[in-house]
Amino acid sequence: MPAPEVHHLFHAPIADHSFSADRSTLAVARDNNVELYHRSGNAFKLQDELRGHDKTITGVDIAPRSGRIVTCSQDRNAYVWEPSQNGEWKPTLVLLRINRAATGVRWCPNETKFAVGSGARIIAVCYFEEENDWWVSKHIKKPIRSTVTSVAWHPNSVLLAAGSTDGHARVFSSFVKGIDERPEPSVWGERLPFNTVCGEYLNPTAGWVHDVAFSPSGDALAFCSHDSSVTIVYPSGPEQPPQAVISIATQLLPFASLLWSSETELVAAGYDCGVYRLSGDANGWQLTGSLEEKEERPGMPEQREESALNMFRSMDLKGRSGGAAMDDTKLKTVHQNSINTVRSFQDSGGQTRKISTGGVDGRVVVWDV
Amino acid sequence: MADFNWRTINIDALDPESAYNFDLSTLTPTVQPTSTQDVQTLNGQIRQLLRGGNAEGALRGGLENVPYGADEQGKVDRICLYLPAFPGPPHDVDNRMSQSNPPNRDVALTATHIQIRGSELCDTLMKYLYKGMGQGSNTAAHPSGNTGAGGRNLTPQATGGFTQASGRNFGGGEGGMSVFLSWHEKLVEMVGPGSIVRVMSDRRTV
Repeated sequence: MPAPEVHHLFHAPIADHSFSADRSTLAVARDNNVELYHRSGNAFKLQDELRGHDKTITGVDIAPRSGRIVTCSQDRNAYVWEPSQNGEWKPTLVLLRINRAATGVRWCPNETKFAVGSGARIIAVCYFEEENDWWVSKHIKKPIRSTVTSVAWHPNSVLLAAGSTDGHARVFSSFVKGIDERPEPSVWGERLPFNTVCGEYLNPTAGWVHDVAFSPSGDALAFCSHDSSVTIVYPSGPEQPPQAVISIATQLLPFASLLWSSETELVAAGYDCGVYRLSGDANGWQLTGSLEEKEERPGMPEQREESALNMFRSMDLKGRSGGAAMDDTKLKTVHQNSINTVRSFQDSGGQTRKISTGGVDGRVVVWDV
Repeated sequence: MADFNWRTINIDALDPESAYNFDLSTLTPTVQPTSTQDVQTLNGQIRQLLRGGNAEGALRGGLENVPYGADEQGKVDRICLYLPAFPGPPHDVDNRMSQSNPPNRDVALTATHIQIRGSELCDTLMKYLYKGMGQGSNTAAHPSGNTGAGGRNLTPQATGGFTQASGRNFGGGEGGMSVFLSWHEKLVEMVGPGSIVRVMSDRRTV
C-alpha cells in the first residue's frame, strides 16, 4: 500500500476540513478563520483566508458542484461563501436562530440545503429562498434532548441522521416543500413530512454519539460513540424493529469520525490517532485492522545494536533507557494527535479509494484505503 | 400585588423547554429494576460459592447478574461482598509478610480467572474494580461511584503491595488497593483502554 500523503499545514488543531470537487483546493478551519490552500505540485500552499466569524469555526463544507463553502462557528452563525469572478469570496450570513454554538455543518448531496447541528438541541436545516434572496432556516427540535454533535445526509437529500450527546442516533426527515421532491419510499419510511423521526437508536451504554454516517446506498446507518464502540443499524421498514443492530466494542480509544468506504466496509478514526478499518454485513461486523503499516515510518533509524556505553550514557544524560535508537517523543502513528474528521477523497463506483483525515496536530493526510 | 416578590419566581420551572424540566431518566438505557431483596439473595448465593472455594463460579455469577437497577444499598452490598473475594492478605498478618503475598497470589488467580471472558463480562469486572477502588471507608457510607480512586490519600506506589500505604480501614482488608490495581493491570492488558472508556461513559453504574 503506498505511503500516505502527509500535509503538515500548521501547528494548530484543525476542527474540520474539506476538499473541493477537483481536490485542488483544501479548506481548513483554523480558529476563527478558514484557510484555503491550493495544490501546487505535491504540497498545498496558502491561497486565501475567509474571515468573518467571531469565534472558533466548528464546521466547513465545500459543495462539490457549485463550489460554495458553508462554515459554522461557535458564534451561533453560519456563512455561505460564494466564489466571485475576481477570486474573492463573498459571504452571506445565514440566520440560524439558535442560541448556542453550532457544532457541525454538511451540504446535502444535491446542494440545495445544508444542516447545522448545534448545542441548542436543535438542527437547523437551511435552504435558499428565491423571493427573498436569503437563506432561511427551519428547526428540527423534538425529540433531541442534548447537543447535536454530528449530522449526515442520506443520498436522497431528504433523510438526515444526527448523533447527539444524549446517546441517541436519530434519523429525521428534512423534507422542505418547494425545495425537495418527494423521495422514493425506502426502508426508512414513505410519507415523510418535516421533523418526522424515522428511527432512534441507542447504544447499550448510552455514551455520547460522536459521528453518524449512512451507507452508500442509504440502507444502513453507522454511528460511533464515546464508549469506544461502533454500532451499525440495518432497518427493515418503517414502524418495524430493525433487521439488525450490531454493536462492536473495540479495545481502542473512542472514534471521533467514521465513513463508509463501501457497503461492507467502514473506516473510522479517533483518539487513538490512527485510522482503522471495520468490515462486515448484516450478520456481523468486526474490526479488521489499521490503515497504517506496521513497519517503522521512513526516516526512523533501523539499527538496533548499540553499545552498553551508549545506553548508560543516555540513561545518565537524558534519563532515557533505550539508547540512541529509541525516540519516544513522537507517536508511532502518522497523526501525532487525535483525528477529528475523516472525509472521502476519491471514490470510484461506490467504493472509496482514498480518504483524507484532519486532526488536532494540524496535519491533513490522504490515505489509500 | 406589591407584596409579592417577583424575583423569587423560578422561571426555569415554568418554562417547558428548559433543562430544569428535562427528565434525565429518559436518557438512560432501559435497566430492569432489581429489588434489594433479589440482590441480597444473589449475594447470599455468591457467598456460598466463595465459602465452598469456587471462586471462579462466584466471580462469574457476580459478573453475569449485575445489579444495575438496584438502589445504592444493594450495589454497595455487592461490592463489599467482593472485596473479600479479591485475593489479598488477611487482616492480622504481619506487614512484611503481606507485602510478598499479593503479587504471587494475584498473578496466579488473575491468570486463571481471566481465561474465557466475553467483552461484556470484562467491562463489568472493570466496573467492579473501579467501584471497589472508589470505596472510601469500611462502612461504605460514601461510595463514590465508578469513577476511579477514592478520595483518600493513597500513595502512588506500584502494585508491589505496600500494604501499609493502602490503609487499614479499607473495606475488605489490607492491600485492597494494590490488589485492585494488579487486577486492573491484567485486565487492561487483555481488553485495552476501550474497556476503561466504557466504564467511564456507561450510564448504568454498578
